[in-house]
Amino acid sequence: MRLTPWLAAAALCTLAGCAQMVKVESGQVTIKDTLSVTTASAWNRFDLPQLNLSVAPGAAEIWTQDGVTLDALAFFVGVSQGETLGKAMPGSTKKLPQFRSAMTPGEIVELYEQMVTQDGSAFALKRVAPGRFGEQPGFRFEHTITRKSDSVLLKGVGQGAVVKGKLYLVVFTAPSIYYYERHLPQVEPLMASARIRAL
Amino acid sequence: MQRRPFLLGCGCLAFAAAAGVHADEYDYQVPPRFSRPDPSSDEGGLWAFMDREEQRLKRSSFVIRDPALHDYVNRIACRLAGDHCPEMRVYLVRTPYFNASMAPNGMMQVWSGLLVRMQNEGQLAAVLGHEIGHYLQRHSVERLRDIKSRSSFAQIVGIALGVAGGGNLGALAQVGILAGGLAYGRDQEREADRIGIALMARNGYAPAEAGRVWGQLLEEYEGAKAAGEDVSTTNILFASHPPAEERREVLAAAAKRDWPGAERTGADEYRAALASHRMGFLYDEVRRRRFGESLVLFDRLLKASPRDGQVQYFKGEAYRLRGREGDTKLALEAYRAALEMDNTPPEVHRSLGTVLRQTGEDAEATRAFQRFLELKPDAEDAELIRSYLTGSQS
Repeated sequence: MRLTPWLAAAALCTLAGCAQMVKVESGQVTIKDTLSVTTASAWNRFDLPQLNLSVAPGAAEIWTQDGVTLDALAFFVGVSQGETLGKAMPGSTKKLPQFRSAMTPGEIVELYEQMVTQDGSAFALKRVAPGRFGEQPGFRFEHTITRKSDSVLLKGVGQGAVVKGKLYLVVFTAPSIYYYERHLPQVEPLMASARIRAL
Repeated sequence: MQRRPFLLGCGCLAFAAAAGVHADEYDYQVPPRFSRPDPSSDEGGLWAFMDREEQRLKRSSFVIRDPALHDYVNRIACRLAGDHCPEMRVYLVRTPYFNASMAPNGMMQVWSGLLVRMQNEGQLAAVLGHEIGHYLQRHSVERLRDIKSRSSFAQIVGIALGVAGGGNLGALAQVGILAGGLAYGRDQEREADRIGIALMARNGYAPAEAGRVWGQLLEEYEGAKAAGEDVSTTNILFASHPPAEERREVLAAAAKRDWPGAERTGADEYRAALASHRMGFLYDEVRRRRFGESLVLFDRLLKASPRDGQVQYFKGEAYRLRGREGDTKLALEAYRAALEMDNTPPEVHRSLGTVLRQTGEDAEATRAFQRFLELKPDAEDAELIRSYLTGSQS
């Protein structure tokens, strides 16, 4: 019953009226002092990371328009050699693999797959190709996730790069019905605006 | 809140420990057909609960909807169940863990992690027969009454579902532990075991395969332990029920003594039935990251079929994904061996290229990637691999 303290905390938080969502205003936003993106529209930042959203457990930040089960924009910022991408879901027996700076984009997508399938969800890669991450050369991948908890088919797109040995990755996932297409036009320019600071 | 369909009244802990099978106990009389219990009875309540879970399962994307494979497994289950066949509905579920279960309302689940582990039809029949044994003896109803005499049904189900609400496979393992309270008792396991081996032997299957299922699981467990992996959650049966070895021996001896004539294993039929799903099942298996167990499984499959390039490829994948010191070399050896075998998937060239790039053998990596693109020009990562080639050639 490891979840209980968190659920209790969440319930208390709700009762006390403290926010689980924080508004992200349009404009330039910097995440973990390192990764900045420019967004034309406002987002909601999901501020209860201990609930470990299965599409992005342990992301630096998770943003959403309609709620995290409907759409999630996850930022992974500066993952170093030897660290895992994301973190283990509570109760998961799977030991997540570690990031290596020399990994190919294909291997990085495998890290992502391992992270999002911890709950038994099914992952399918649709496309991975070289791309840009802001001003950096990087990669882009598209995929689907069949969510274990409710069998909903999610579509996803991720863009990232390894810069000075650290991994930066932004991934958007949403149900293939309606929500993915609805928010993709906001997500694409946001991903294209990514800049890694302090380099 | 997420609910799981196999919490109560199912063989969550299929094959829990039992020992001591004797020849005179095989004279099993199958009970007459069951009818739907009175909805106001406790058994009726259990059925209603399972009916709801079955409705959920029917809609799940994780049910394998392949009529050919379904018919194959269903035919085996039906032969074993005899007159009770019409009461039963078989669901194949894509979940890479060893499990089969049969609920009191006739819903039978068979997981892909079980299918990929069985060597032949006889082994599958042993597991299905065991679960049908629980069903025929209505063990879940006995169990429910036992629980109710001690505690509130709702309370226990509530606790179990609360844990499952975590929505991940780790929680699933915890449910297994918690279900210790819900699972069948030792005597029930012993009885299901006797019925299972009797049903399979009556249908001509070599009963020795029942003991081998145990032996195989034990080998995988030992493999995980030898590889230094955490085995505390591997399979709680082995942690809490040491007589597994004893049971393997008892079943094997009984098989030899009591059914010398039943010899059919159905290895070829089994292989053919699974063929179109095997890549997917093996892919899921290696991504469990229980490499110690998977490598023992792959070696076992290779022993039975030494030129199986599919399994050999996944052996390489296990080493590559594990990535411990020395694994690069083992992965390369495995991939190179797979190139010489039959039915090897084209992906072996991509994996070989990926590993060779890491070890700095660029010329050979380039050749491997080129070969992969020749075989799969429309692969999902074709553009990426073309970019590697441009990079490595420049």
